Amino acid sequence: MDRILSLKGVGFRFGPEWALRDISVDVAPGELVGVLGPNGSGKSTLLKVADGILQPHEGEAFLKERSLGDYTRADVAREVAMVPQENHFRFAFSSLEVVLMGRFVHMGLFQFEGEQDMAVALDAMEATRCNELTERPIDELSGGEKQRVMLARALAQEPKLILLDEPTSFLDLRFKKEIFELLSSLKKERGLSLMIVSHDIDLSARYCDRIILLDRGSVYAEGRPEEVLTAQNVEAVYRCPVTVDKNPATGSTRVSII
Amino acid sequence: MRKAVNKGRQQGPLTASRVLKICLALSALLIVTVVFSLMTGTAKVTWSQWWTLFTGNAGVSDPTRLVILRIRLPRVMLAGLSGFSLSLGGVVFQALLRNPLADPFILGVSSGSAFGAVLGIMLGLSFGLGIPVMAFGGALLTMYIVLILGRKRMGMESSTILLSGVIINAFFTAIIMFFITTATDDRLHTMLFWLYGDLSQSNFAESALTGPAVLAGFVVLYCFATHLNLMTAGEEEALHLGVDVRKAKLVCFLVVSLIVGLVVAFSGLIGFVGLVIPHMARMAFGSDHRLLMPVSALGGAIFLIAADTVARTVISPSELPVGVITAFLGAPFFIYLLRKRGSRWTGS
Repeated sequence: MDRILSLKGVGFRFGPEWALRDISVDVAPGELVGVLGPNGSGKSTLLKVADGILQPHEGEAFLKERSLGDYTRADVAREVAMVPQENHFRFAFSSLEVVLMGRFVHMGLFQFEGEQDMAVALDAMEATRCNELTERPIDELSGGEKQRVMLARALAQEPKLILLDEPTSFLDLRFKKEIFELLSSLKKERGLSLMIVSHDIDLSARYCDRIILLDRGSVYAEGRPEEVLTAQNVEAVYRCPVTVDKNPATGSTRVSII
Repeated sequence: MRKAVNKGRQQGPLTASRVLKICLALSALLIVTVVFSLMTGTAKVTWSQWWTLFTGNAGVSDPTRLVILRIRLPRVMLAGLSGFSLSLGGVVFQALLRNPLADPFILGVSSGSAFGAVLGIMLGLSFGLGIPVMAFGGALLTMYIVLILGRKRMGMESSTILLSGVIINAFFTAIIMFFITTATDDRLHTMLFWLYGDLSQSNFAESALTGPAVLAGFVVLYCFATHLNLMTAGEEEALHLGVDVRKAKLVCFLVVSLIVGLVVAFSGLIGFVGLVIPHMARMAFGSDHRLLMPVSALGGAIFLIAADTVARTVISPSELPVGVITAFLGAPFFIYLLRKRGSRWTGS
């Protein structure tokens, strides 16, 4: 099967400092990939390279086997959507208006939403269970509600790949789980590829098909969660003593700080 | 709280027909304002005189016809075009710079054109198109400097552009102050009137020149209405959603600076229109630029025609610079807005 995203020997630096070095990562269709690693390990930079916002200084990034450098912003946005960690809106847009922003690349010259755009937006809001929020101003929503709206906006772009940059950072336990459940169901029901940067090791281990563990801008380990998340790997990367066992309720890998 | 935020927003997304309806209503109001303004002034015009003039029949005395068509009409047209451009420029810059205090002058177009105009007055070029040409040249010069200074690293960073504008403003203001302190009496009067905004010297040629340019500028800017909507959510956000942010910014900065530089060259520095009208429009109609842009532009035209009518009648037969009226009305209104709405800058 073709790859949606393929990074080949990618390096990126801010000034003289390399933020990413020799990264080779693939994302297949219908795959949920978790990117883990300590602060400053290059997770967010990796997502920006994958979205074409940052051009790699070394190597190359491919989207559907075509170099990302050959895409316009609109071309990328038809294939890839991004859910940010947090978003501050300066204007009081309603949730529906925010979701309709995702339709930008699909609208015609006159840029007024048609029936098709509305249908896609409402369908996306239903899929992320935020269809009761349509008329609510985005800046009055709770953190969990807001992230569901942002996820709906990503779906409204009708992409093949959704990138998520720590979408659960500011959420409590229930909402964290809800977001991961949602991602998992989107993968199954819509065949979407998803790549999520997160600090929630246990949830990533439970829901992701594959984990990429980053350390100082390089891939330290990659593979199935139980292969990657060994005590040895986690301690080496996060520089913090841990024990790793199976969660008795779910059977997925559990990492506990000692 | 909910109620206040939702005011002015209708259910569902914006449709083209809603934009059209609101614009038609505002256009009607604009026409009423124009007619009222043409009838008002030191020389009174009665309805019957107006009617005969309008229907083309004889019976209107030549002086009245002259006053309306040759003196008031060009002035009303220039006022309308100036208000239209300044207010439109304000909306666009507020969105581009994500700053509620941005106005069309914030990038230094004002002080640049003022420098050109004042220099022209000093050099004794106060004839024909001498001053406007100097002013427009000054506006282009500052725009060029600001964009060169702001064109750093990843495209054009808003904060760098903003700072460049502020610094250019300060520099040119110093030169203008130098000119003013060394100017003779008659030239000083010309300078001050220009600096406060003055529409009394209008003629048809000016409107014929600015009109098509301003309308073309509006069409170009309107093509970027949704781009602006997305860019208010953040530049990186807009990139993710598929906006070519760099291109949108460059085109919008250029077009606004050009049309604002053009009207400023003829009408001088008229403050507050580009600040107050966009905020009023946002309060009344929400923050979707597809509606906000035409509403602000038409609102600016109506406001400035009305303000200029006041400027030329309030101390009749003498008159005030129109900038005095707009600031006099605009400043208290702005303080009221600030107190009522606090520091929050949420549109509708």
